[in-house]
Amino acid sequence: MEDERIEGDEKMNFRYTMMGAAGSLFVFYLGLLFSLLCFASGKGFLDALFHPHTLFSIQLSLIAATSATFFAVVIGLPAAYALSRFEFVGKRIIDTFLEIPMIMSPIALGASLLIFFNTPLGEVIQRRGIFFVFEVPGIVLAQFATIAGLSTRLMKASLDEISPRYETVARSLGSSSWQAFYKITLPLAWRGLIASIILSWAKALGEFGATVTLAGAMPGKTETMPVAIFTALASANIDKTIVLILILVVFGLVTLYGVRLTGGRRLYD
Amino acid sequence: MIRIEGLTILFESFRITDLHIEIEEGEFHFLLGPTGSGKTLILESVMGLHKPKNGKIWIGEREVQDLPPERRNISYVPQDLALFPHLRVKENILYGIKARNLDLKTYEGYVQTLIQVMKVDHLLERYPANLSGGEKKRVALLRALAPKPKLLLFDEPLSGLDPSIKVEIQQLLKILHSSFHTTTLCVTHDFEEAYVLGDGITICIDGRIEQAGKRDDVFLRPKSRKVAQFLGAKNLYRARVLKKEESLQRWVLGVNGLQFSMPLSLCRDPIEVGKEVDLFIRPEEVMIIREGKPLKDSLKRNIFEGEILDIIDRGRYHMVYVQTMQGKIPFEISIPNYAFRNLNLSIGKTIKVALREESLWVMS
Repeated sequence: MEDERIEGDEKMNFRYTMMGAAGSLFVFYLGLLFSLLCFASGKGFLDALFHPHTLFSIQLSLIAATSATFFAVVIGLPAAYALSRFEFVGKRIIDTFLEIPMIMSPIALGASLLIFFNTPLGEVIQRRGIFFVFEVPGIVLAQFATIAGLSTRLMKASLDEISPRYETVARSLGSSSWQAFYKITLPLAWRGLIASIILSWAKALGEFGATVTLAGAMPGKTETMPVAIFTALASANIDKTIVLILILVVFGLVTLYGVRLTGGRRLYD
Repeated sequence: MIRIEGLTILFESFRITDLHIEIEEGEFHFLLGPTGSGKTLILESVMGLHKPKNGKIWIGEREVQDLPPERRNISYVPQDLALFPHLRVKENILYGIKARNLDLKTYEGYVQTLIQVMKVDHLLERYPANLSGGEKKRVALLRALAPKPKLLLFDEPLSGLDPSIKVEIQQLLKILHSSFHTTTLCVTHDFEEAYVLGDGITICIDGRIEQAGKRDDVFLRPKSRKVAQFLGAKNLYRARVLKKEESLQRWVLGVNGLQFSMPLSLCRDPIEVGKEVDLFIRPEEVMIIREGKPLKDSLKRNIFEGEILDIIDRGRYHMVYVQTMQGKIPFEISIPNYAFRNLNLSIGKTIKVALREESLWVMS
């Protein structure tokens, strides 16, 4: 604290201005949450919470987000490793393409998927394999499309932090590339990877635009929580809207807390 | 025996062509060169991180240039050591033995001996983050030696250590090498390190091997001015061959009108009268003569009078800067402290210096 006195008033003003901005953001979001509670009435609230469609939405959301995250990791982790460790032709382009879901509106992403399934290839996939359009797999696919780029980027960042030298040494000592990866790099990057996975999952859970465009909003069939919030609000069902929002907020806060836990204390001290 | 034959490596902007290095069984070999000379690239190619464009690498009886690192039977100790942070010291040490599927029992006694020699028995349960710099080095060495590799690769093993720990690790490396005779290839830019530990030395400058050979051969008899300069040669002069004294089997060389006499045998390449050559003598091979003290034969022929320009106390020794009266040739002379105290030197004093003639070296 002593340095503030030395720096004088101007520095203090600077400091308070910056901190004031941080504080106002906090008040802004806290205000939003409180306003939700103003409209929550006791009985309608519980009814909405235990309504079969609400419970279904929660269940569907959890399953879909988890599945989408699973696929995003299965493909994204090796991809992230390649982008982090190897030099190859097209690496830059791939890296740029990973940003597409971030710059594209989710609705546009969903619309692209919808259009894809109307191409000859898309039709073959639907006829011979799995139905995506207006079906549950469509939710998973829409969420996957939204988060795959992000999760690959996040996982790449955690792998970047681990010096490739560890693997080099492991290989000189007799490990194959695969062994060096799962015995050395994976455990070392573990916390960062978990944090990336949790964030991706949270993003999948809240995904609306792409999901509603590809899978529709059929209650009890393809209605995830964010979609249910939209339909509840559209039909002026404030209780249901608030219940669903609060559940989403709770899930969100729990996952963010999980991320904090993984990023906290230093391991191996 | 390690043999590198006609190796050509292209990597980013580096280009190393037609490289030859031979390392005998049990030799501590140094690949010495300035920063950016491509020596780390050579090390990494021996390790198997870069595929050479051409050429062969033998480790023992096996040709390895097409094998991945894990099948070359080597151990690598990088500059930053890269101890696995998530494994305890013990697990770090045993990593190589387990990764190679070696029988832990047959290695147990050997590893125990290593643990004793390295004095790390009290550290086995710790994580690397809780070790001091010296302890980390010792654990990294142990980890590398434990699976009994055919070839040990070091990258700047003594850099980044406090001077006292540096000496300790240097001693340890010496002891380890003399006890286990693991063939070692070590990359460094520090020629003192190479001098203390090396049996053989290869000097690499700008991606080219400038000289290779036994330690003294390289240090005392550099092949070229480039090598001599890299090795920190201080007394390096451009000289002209004045005449050949057949009867005495000697050359007479002139530098700025000052004449040097040296035996015919002390140059690597053939020289002839009239030719320009580089003459070199190490600062510790120049003697300051004490009046009245008898001189050895080898000192008698090259005696010059000069004035002391400067004296610098280097702690372990003194550097005396002398300029000869005739020819104004500067000499750097390093003398041990005890000798310095007996000589009673001061700036401005006129003294006589003698060059040990066997230590003169000529490069053409």
